[in-house]
Amino acid sequence: MKKKKDDESFGSSFKKLEIILEKLENEIEDHSLEEIIKNYEEAQALLKFCRKKLEEAELKIEKIGAEEEN
Amino acid sequence: MNSPVTVSELSREIKNTVESRFSFVYVTGEISNFKDHSSGHLYFSLKDSKAQINAVIWNSRVRDLNFSPENGLKVIVKGRLTVYETRGTYQIDVFEMMPAGAGELQKALEILKKKLSDEGIFDSRYKKPLPEYPEKIALITSETGAAIHDFLKVTEKRYPLVEIILIPSLMQGAGSADSICSSVKKANSLPDKPEIIVITRGGGSIEDLWTFNEEKVARAVFGSGIPVVSAIGHEVDYTICDLAADMRAPTPSSAAELIFPDVRDLMLRIKAAESSLNRQVYNKFSNLRNVLANIERNYYFMRPVDLMNEFRANLDSIGSSILNETRRKLNQIKNSLETNQKLLNTLNPDNILKRGYTIIKRGDKIITARKNINIKDKISIKFHDGSANAVVEN
Repeated sequence: MKKKKDDESFGSSFKKLEIILEKLENEIEDHSLEEIIKNYEEAQALLKFCRKKLEEAELKIEKIGAEEEN
Repeated sequence: MNSPVTVSELSREIKNTVESRFSFVYVTGEISNFKDHSSGHLYFSLKDSKAQINAVIWNSRVRDLNFSPENGLKVIVKGRLTVYETRGTYQIDVFEMMPAGAGELQKALEILKKKLSDEGIFDSRYKKPLPEYPEKIALITSETGAAIHDFLKVTEKRYPLVEIILIPSLMQGAGSADSICSSVKKANSLPDKPEIIVITRGGGSIEDLWTFNEEKVARAVFGSGIPVVSAIGHEVDYTICDLAADMRAPTPSSAAELIFPDVRDLMLRIKAAESSLNRQVYNKFSNLRNVLANIERNYYFMRPVDLMNEFRANLDSIGSSILNETRRKLNQIKNSLETNQKLLNTLNPDNILKRGYTIIKRGDKIITARKNINIKDKISIKFHDGSANAVVEN
C-alpha cells in the first residue's frame, strides 16, 4: 500500500520541521525574505499538522496470524 | 542339539529381542566422538566412566534440538535401541535430546554463543538502526502474557501514533522456536512492511526462556531485514536472541520506552520549535528593518538635502560678496572724493594768498604782468585777509 500524499506521517513532518528550523537558525542571513516567508509558512503548517497528529493519535492494533503462511 | 542357526537368524533374533525390550530408553551420559555428518545426521557416543553406547540423531529430528551438541556435554536422551544387523552393532536412535541440568544447559549455551559470535552474528556492525518515529511495528508475543499488556500500555501512553501489527506466537515450550521463526518471516513478508519487529515475553525460568537461546531463533532474528528489538525475560536475563537482535531491551515496558519517543516530550519540542521559529523570523525582520534604515541614512539618499544646503551656502556667500564689493566701491569713491577735495583746496586762490601771494587788480581786471600797468595807475592789492589800494610809483 502506497501512502497518499496528504497522509504524511508525523515522523517525516517532524523531521522536516526540524530541518527548516535548523536552516532558519543557522543560515538565516543567506535567505531571501521570500524564502523565509515560505519556510515560515511551511513550518507553521507542519507545526499545526504535528500537533494535530499528537493530539488525535489513537493506538491502532491489527492482529494477523503467523500460521497462515504461503 | 538342533542344527545351528545362521548369523543372520541370530542377528534377527537379537534385533527382535533388543528392539522390543528397549523400544523406549531414557538415558543420561556424556557426548563423545561427535560427528556432524554431511548428510545432516548426527553421530556420537554416549558414555560414562565405565561404558559407552553409540547414538544417532537423524536429520529429520536435528531441527528439533534446542542446543548445539558438543563433545563433553552431559545430556539426557529419549529414544529407542536399534540393532544394525549388517555390522552386528546397536545404537540409540535419539528422538529427543537435552542438556542434563541447568549447568549443562549453561554450558551448551556458552558453546552456542561462542559459535554464533565467531560467525559474527552478534557483531555491532550488523546492527540496524531503528527509525526515530516509527509508524508501524510488528509485535511478536503471546496474546495472553503480561508482556503484551505492559508493552501496549507503555506504547499507548508514550506514542499512540504507531500502528501495531500483532503476530501472536508461542513464547515457550515445544514448537515455540518454530513459531517465533515463522512470525519473524511473516513480519518480513508483509506487503506494507513494519519498520521494527519487537519480540517480547516476560520473565520466567531458564527453561521457559530457553527458546530464545535456540540457534534457529538467533538466526531468524539475525536474518530479518527489518530491525529486531528483543525484550526477553526480566532485567538480568540475557538470551542469545537478545544478542542477535539489533537492540535489546531489559523488559517489555522498557522496549516500548526505547523504541518510541514520548508524546509529551514531542509536544514540548513542538512548543520550543514554534517559539524558536517566531523568534528567528522576528529577528530576521528586525534585521531587515535595520538594514533598510541604514540604507536610508546612506549619503546618497541624503544628497538632495546636501545640495540644497550647499546651494544655500553659495547663495549666502554670493550675497555677502556683493555687499562687500559694494562697500569697497563706495569707499573707493569716497576716497577719491576726499583726494579731489584736497586737490581743490590746494587750488583755492585764497590758500595761495595765505602763503604770501597777492592779487593785483586795476578796476576789476587782474594784472598778471608788469607791462600791463603804468606809472600812477591806481591798483588794489588783494591779500588773503583783505584788500589795500596803492598807486604805482615806477
